[in-house]
Amino acid sequence: MYQLLKINQTVRAEASKTACRVTRFLGGGGQGEVYAADWDGSAVALKWYFPQSATEEQRLLLEDLIHRSAPDARFLWPIELASSSDVPGFGYVMRLREQRFKGIVALMKRQVEVSFRTLVTACFELADSYYQLHANGLCYRDISFGNVFFDPETGEVLICDNDNVAVNRQAGGGVLGTPKFMAPEIVRGEAAPSRDTDLYSLAALLFYMLIVHHPLEGRRESAIKCFDLPAMTKIYGTDPLFIFDPDDESNRPDPVFHANALAFWPIYPKLIRELFTRSFTEGLRNSQGRVRETEWRSAMIQLRDRILYCTECGAENFFDQSAEAARKCWSCEKPIRLPYRLQIGAKTVVMLNHDTRLHHHHLDESRRYDFGRPAAEVVRHPQDTRVWGLKNLTDAKWSSTTADGAVSAVEPGRSVRLARGTRINFGTSQVEIFAPED
Amino acid sequence: MNMRPGGELAARELHFLWIVDCSGSMGVDGKIEELNNAIDEALPGMREVAADNPNAQLLIRAIRFSNGAQWHVLKPVAIEEFQWEPLSADGVTDLGAALAEVAEQLSIERMPQRALPPVLVLISDGQPTDDYKAGLKKLLGQPWGAKAVRIAIAIGRDADHGPLQEFIGNIEFKPLQANNAERLAQLIKWASTAVVKAASAPSSQVVQAGPVGNVPIPEPPVESGESGVDDVW
Repeated sequence: MYQLLKINQTVRAEASKTACRVTRFLGGGGQGEVYAADWDGSAVALKWYFPQSATEEQRLLLEDLIHRSAPDARFLWPIELASSSDVPGFGYVMRLREQRFKGIVALMKRQVEVSFRTLVTACFELADSYYQLHANGLCYRDISFGNVFFDPETGEVLICDNDNVAVNRQAGGGVLGTPKFMAPEIVRGEAAPSRDTDLYSLAALLFYMLIVHHPLEGRRESAIKCFDLPAMTKIYGTDPLFIFDPDDESNRPDPVFHANALAFWPIYPKLIRELFTRSFTEGLRNSQGRVRETEWRSAMIQLRDRILYCTECGAENFFDQSAEAARKCWSCEKPIRLPYRLQIGAKTVVMLNHDTRLHHHHLDESRRYDFGRPAAEVVRHPQDTRVWGLKNLTDAKWSSTTADGAVSAVEPGRSVRLARGTRINFGTSQVEIFAPED
Repeated sequence: MNMRPGGELAARELHFLWIVDCSGSMGVDGKIEELNNAIDEALPGMREVAADNPNAQLLIRAIRFSNGAQWHVLKPVAIEEFQWEPLSADGVTDLGAALAEVAEQLSIERMPQRALPPVLVLISDGQPTDDYKAGLKKLLGQPWGAKAVRIAIAIGRDADHGPLQEFIGNIEFKPLQANNAERLAQLIKWASTAVVKAASAPSSQVVQAGPVGNVPIPEPPVESGESGVDDVW
C-alpha cells in the first residue's frame, strides 16, 4: 500500500522498446500496484510488483503468458513486460478496464443493484471465461471477487490480475489464493492451486454472486467471537460444512447474521441448489467431484430461461417444477402466475414473457451458446393485443402444429400464436408450448 | 423497488486503535505535528481499504498518553465519518495507563459478540515512565487484547524498543523504526491499510516461509535507503 512508481515517471515496454508514462495510481494488491499509463498515445494499465514479488519465476511466468495470448477478450491479459533502470523490479502492460465495469465488491455491498437476468448472465460469462482458460491447459489460481468485474447493464465480465495464470500442474510457488475462496485442501496446506481448486473457487464466487453470502458461514461461524486466521482455517479448511448440507443441519445459517442465505436460497430452482449442494458437499471432500464449468454454463442459461415476472409487482422470480418450489413471489408474496412456456428437449424450459427472445442456442443443438442475433421473440397480435405469439426472426421457414393437429407454415417475419399443446418445428429442433395452468 | 431480496454481505466489526505517545519530547522538532499529518494522510487509504472490503466494518478509536492516559476518540467511529483532531504534546510517558485503558475497552462486555481481530498501533518516541508491564498484563489478559494484531512504531533514536517489543509479544515481528517524517508517514499508512486489510479479508496469499500468527501480517514497506536506490532520480 505504498507507491512504487511516481506520476509522470516513464518505464520501458521491453519488447517494443517504447515508453510507458505513469498517469495515475489505480490501486494496490497483495503482489504489487496498478497504475493508469500512457503507452505511445494509448491509455493502458501498468502493474508494478513489490520487490518481494518481482521474482525471476514471476518474470518467466509473464513471458510465457504474453507469448500465449489471452483465451478470449474477457481477460485483461499481460501484453508486454516493462522495466526501468531507475526502479527495481518489473511490471507489465495490459488493457485498461473500462469505466462501465464494476467490481463484485460493489455488488456485495449492494452499491450496484442489478436484475437477476443481468446477474445470471454475468455468472454464465464467468463460467464460460474460466472454461476457455482451462481449455487452454491453464489454471487461474486466485479466483475471488477482487479480480472480476462486470457491467451492471449487460452482465458482460472482465477478468483482471491474470499474472497468476499458469500451466495446470506445472505451476511453481507464488500465489495460494484468497481466503474464503481457497479450496479446503489448499487452506490445510495439502495442495497447491490447480484447475481443480479453481473449480472450488468458481463455485464460491458464483455462490457469493447469487446468494450474497459465503457457502460455509453458518452457525459454526457465528459461534466464533474473534474471526482470526485459526478460526478461518477451521471454517474454510479443516472443518468445513455447507450451510445447506442435506445430511447435516448443524451449520445452518444463523437468522441474525446470515439473513441473505435464508432469503435467496429458496428463490432459486432445484437445478441450481443441487449444483451448489454438490459443490460444497462432495466437492469439499473430493476435488474430482466438483461441478465443471460446462455444467455451470448450462445451468446458468437454464436459470436465465426460467425467469418470469410477477404479474402483481413485476419482480423477477424463477420457474421451478420441483415439489419444494416457492409458489409465491419473493417480493410481494402473492401467488405466482405463470406465463406460457416452451419445453425444448427434456431439460430446457423457456418462460415466454412479454420480452422473451430465443436465440440459435435454443433452436439448434449445433449452435449452443450462440446468443448473437435473436431467432425468435414474443410479440402481441397487432389487432387483438390479448393474443400473444412467437415471431420468426430467422431466414428459415418454421412449421407449427396446434393441439388439434392443424399444420401451418410460419414464414420469416410471421408469428405463431402461443397456445397450449402447439408444437413448433424450427427445422433444427422441435418444441412444445405449455399453458400457464399445465 | 429492490430488484433482489436481502441486504449487504454480512460483515464483522474491525476495531482499530491508535495508541499515541504525547509526552513532552514529542513536541520537540515538530514530531507530534509530523504524526498528526501522517495520520491525516493515511485516512483516504484507510477509507479505500474499507470500501474494497465487504467483510469488515472498520471502526476507529484513539488514545493519547503523557501524564496518565486520555481517550482522544473513545466511541468507535466508522472510518467513513472519521476525522483526525490534532494531538498536542506535554508531560511524561505513561504507557501503562494507556494500555490499561485499552484493556478495559477491549473487555468481553464492551466488545461486540463477534468481530475481527482488533488492530492496535502503538506509536512512541521514548521510555515508559509508569509501570507499563502492569498495563500490558491487563491488555493481554483480555481475550480481545491477546488476539489483537499489535504493531509498534518507534519514532527517533531515543525510543526504547524493549517495551514496544513486549507490546508486540512476538519476537518475529520487530518494532518499526521511523527516523524521519517520510518514513513515519509510510509506516502509518502501512499499518492503517495493509495491516487492516490482512486482519479483515487478506488479499491473495503467497507462499511464505515466515511466521504466521493469528493474522498474516504483510511485509512492512522497505525504507528508501534500504533499497539501494536514490530518493531522487
